[in-house]
Amino acid sequence: MANRARFLRTATARNLLILVLVWELVGRMDWIAGGALPGLSEILIRLWVDRGDYPSHIWATVHASILGFLIGNAVAVGAGVLFVLFPTLLRLTRGFNIAVFALPPIAIAPILVLTLSGMAPRITLAALGVYFVTMSATVVGLSQFDSRAADVVRAYGGKDWQVMRLVRLRGAVPDILSGLRIAAPNAVLGAILAEFGGGGRWGLGTYLLGSLGRGEPARLWGIGLVATLIAGLSYLVFAIISARTLGSTRSVTLNTAIPDAGGGTPGPLPVRLAIFAGAALLPFVLWWAFIRLSGVPDLIAKTPLGVVEYLFLSDTSHIARGKLLSALAETLPITAIGMIAGLGFAFLLAISARMFPGFIKTFMPVALVTQTMPLVALTPLLVLMLGRGTSVTLWITISVTFFPAFVLLVQGIQRVPQTVLDLPRAYGASAWKELRMVSIPAALPYLFAATRLTVPRALLGVMIAEWLATGTGLGNLLNQSRGYLDYGMIWTVAAVSVCLSVAFYYAILLIERRTLTRLGMQTVE
Amino acid sequence: MSLTINRRTFLQGAAAAGAVMGLPRRAMAATALTMQAAWINDAEFSGYFVAMDKGFYTDEGLDLTYLSGGPDVIPESTIIAGRADLALTTPDTTIRAISEQGAKFKIIGAQYQKNPIGIVSLKKNPVNTPADLVGKTVAVPPVNTVTVEALLSLNGIDRAAVNIVPYAYDPTPLVRGEIDASLDFTTNVPYTISQLGEEAQSFLLYDHGVTLFNDTVVVTEETLAAKRAELVAWLRASRRGWDENLADPSVYPPQWEGTWFKGTGRTIDNEVFFNTAQKDLIVADGGIFSMSEDAIARNIDALKAVGINGTREMFDTTLLEEI
Repeated sequence: MANRARFLRTATARNLLILVLVWELVGRMDWIAGGALPGLSEILIRLWVDRGDYPSHIWATVHASILGFLIGNAVAVGAGVLFVLFPTLLRLTRGFNIAVFALPPIAIAPILVLTLSGMAPRITLAALGVYFVTMSATVVGLSQFDSRAADVVRAYGGKDWQVMRLVRLRGAVPDILSGLRIAAPNAVLGAILAEFGGGGRWGLGTYLLGSLGRGEPARLWGIGLVATLIAGLSYLVFAIISARTLGSTRSVTLNTAIPDAGGGTPGPLPVRLAIFAGAALLPFVLWWAFIRLSGVPDLIAKTPLGVVEYLFLSDTSHIARGKLLSALAETLPITAIGMIAGLGFAFLLAISARMFPGFIKTFMPVALVTQTMPLVALTPLLVLMLGRGTSVTLWITISVTFFPAFVLLVQGIQRVPQTVLDLPRAYGASAWKELRMVSIPAALPYLFAATRLTVPRALLGVMIAEWLATGTGLGNLLNQSRGYLDYGMIWTVAAVSVCLSVAFYYAILLIERRTLTRLGMQTVE
Repeated sequence: MSLTINRRTFLQGAAAAGAVMGLPRRAMAATALTMQAAWINDAEFSGYFVAMDKGFYTDEGLDLTYLSGGPDVIPESTIIAGRADLALTTPDTTIRAISEQGAKFKIIGAQYQKNPIGIVSLKKNPVNTPADLVGKTVAVPPVNTVTVEALLSLNGIDRAAVNIVPYAYDPTPLVRGEIDASLDFTTNVPYTISQLGEEAQSFLLYDHGVTLFNDTVVVTEETLAAKRAELVAWLRASRRGWDENLADPSVYPPQWEGTWFKGTGRTIDNEVFFNTAQKDLIVADGGIFSMSEDAIARNIDALKAVGINGTREMFDTTLLEEI
């Protein structure tokens, strides 16, 4: 076993080295898109030449990311604790939580820049990027505590809040930390995105914008790699902290008492309906409150009622509806295809990870770079290689969607119990047959969870491609509306894209519940 | 806005009055004024940088705050939201906002007499006139689609005959031949193209019927009423800054390597090129920021071609007269 691990490690190192050499060769020889892909050494040389520019930009980005990270996580952990203490609150805010998760950042950034000033849009976008991840991790962590420890506290007369403080919060630390680990790079990406559009003086996003006009791919890749490095480091910091603290919180022995299924009693139908209505309305109430509190005039900041008026009640409503519908007709079909393509790609990768672990270890760093590299920097390259048609949209969508789905699917395939795998092995089944007959069916709950993650991101991917490459659909409508100072349309596109993402999410959730209940499986958060 | 006079507004009024009457100004408390630029820091805003560095605004009793722009920043929004007193805008956007959204804006000056926006192509595959665009692929920032539609309609070209794709401010696709032309500042991108080993060919939209200003100085009617004196002072100081900057366009950009242009990702040579190329588009007979009756009429005519209804009342030339 140890030998095999060492072999894998050397193989990974070897493969990575080959990859870097191939990259260098391809870049140096200008083989891809007539030299639009620079060699690694060219990027590093450019980085060295530009080294004087970086500190202020990096500092601005890190500054906004950290503030957003702190604020977003404080709210997320607080909300998580409240949700566990008052499950009704969780049900009431479900619409809001999913909306935050599904927000396409490119639709939200212009709105934040419209309503907030200075650093606030960057911090907000960074905070929005961390909220959902940390909140979910907190809820999961607090829900799955060691009931024996809680029994001890209760036996000594401890109240609920004491159980919370002494047992649940402590037990949730590893989960919260793993949430923070994923949240940290999100904060960095959110900050960079807001910088790109927001008109500040400093920040990697601003630097990227100034550099775009120079047509120097090496510089763009350099900025992208620095962004990747910051995101990677922030991930690493929390990975190390969580590895250090894990040992001190985990139970020494296995708790054999099965915790109750959770969820509690749903209550009578009217109550459930009221909660559902509340959950659906709450995001709109919060939207309205945000506008009122920001004090931005009605002309530029539209409330939900303002959007309804724009779409249905004003003299030009039919024109606005026509534009919106034709944009949707362009965006939705490709989103569906993009979602399937993204999931399919993730699925293939997850299977390859099982079949050829060495390949996947080599691929992981590349995959991580695609997740943190600002797409704006890659677009000229993508357009040169793929043109401006369906294929560029699909590839951008795949690159935006596959990663979270891939991670979940790998988890699902890995968690198949050993005893189940022993059966096909005993009968001499091939690895492929084992995968097909056991691992994949057993990972079905993870496939559904992956689909839920993928759907909102597919819409984001398509909108990015439309904005940067194809000039069609919702992404383009959003940008053109800024040129027309059509504030109603800017808010409409943002609202519609969020509503669509939430609707997709719920549709998958419904199918998932039905299917899994029929198969006697549990959903994965 | 209430009209009660407290100590602060009284002082502001006094300072402004001092500025107008030419009293010794440095001794007085400066009035705060905020301007929103249209883009990130580049040579397009050199005049303001000079005026700030040389204390021309301070001389006028102004304490100027300068806000840079960016792709998501709509300068008009900043003044509606009250975060800036004046903004540099594209006139087509502003006039459309006044006529269609009922925004209460006044245009009080124009930095560019001739809009520097043009169609940029490569010499080896030149697009010399609007007619050459037929059958070609042109990259246009989505925000500027209106302007290109104006060019096509004014030159009798079918919109469907030109393939318009989004432009992300990167000249690479043009140099590599993936697109035939792009819409960009002719004062800027030809330099980059020459650095990439190609020669650029360009024409101004202005020379083909789209006779628009650019970087129009826009204020809300409310600000115009409340801060008229400060706005005149700003125009005067900014004109001084521009005159000083354009006297020799190669002088100032190198001085800002460590300040205004630090870390913008652009080069000083590029800024000198930009500053030199924009001189003829800015200088006006009546002084910088001028809006002659002829020029205003041409703006209104050009916009009419794309269904934007501008009127003479949207332009207020009285502040320029007070400079």
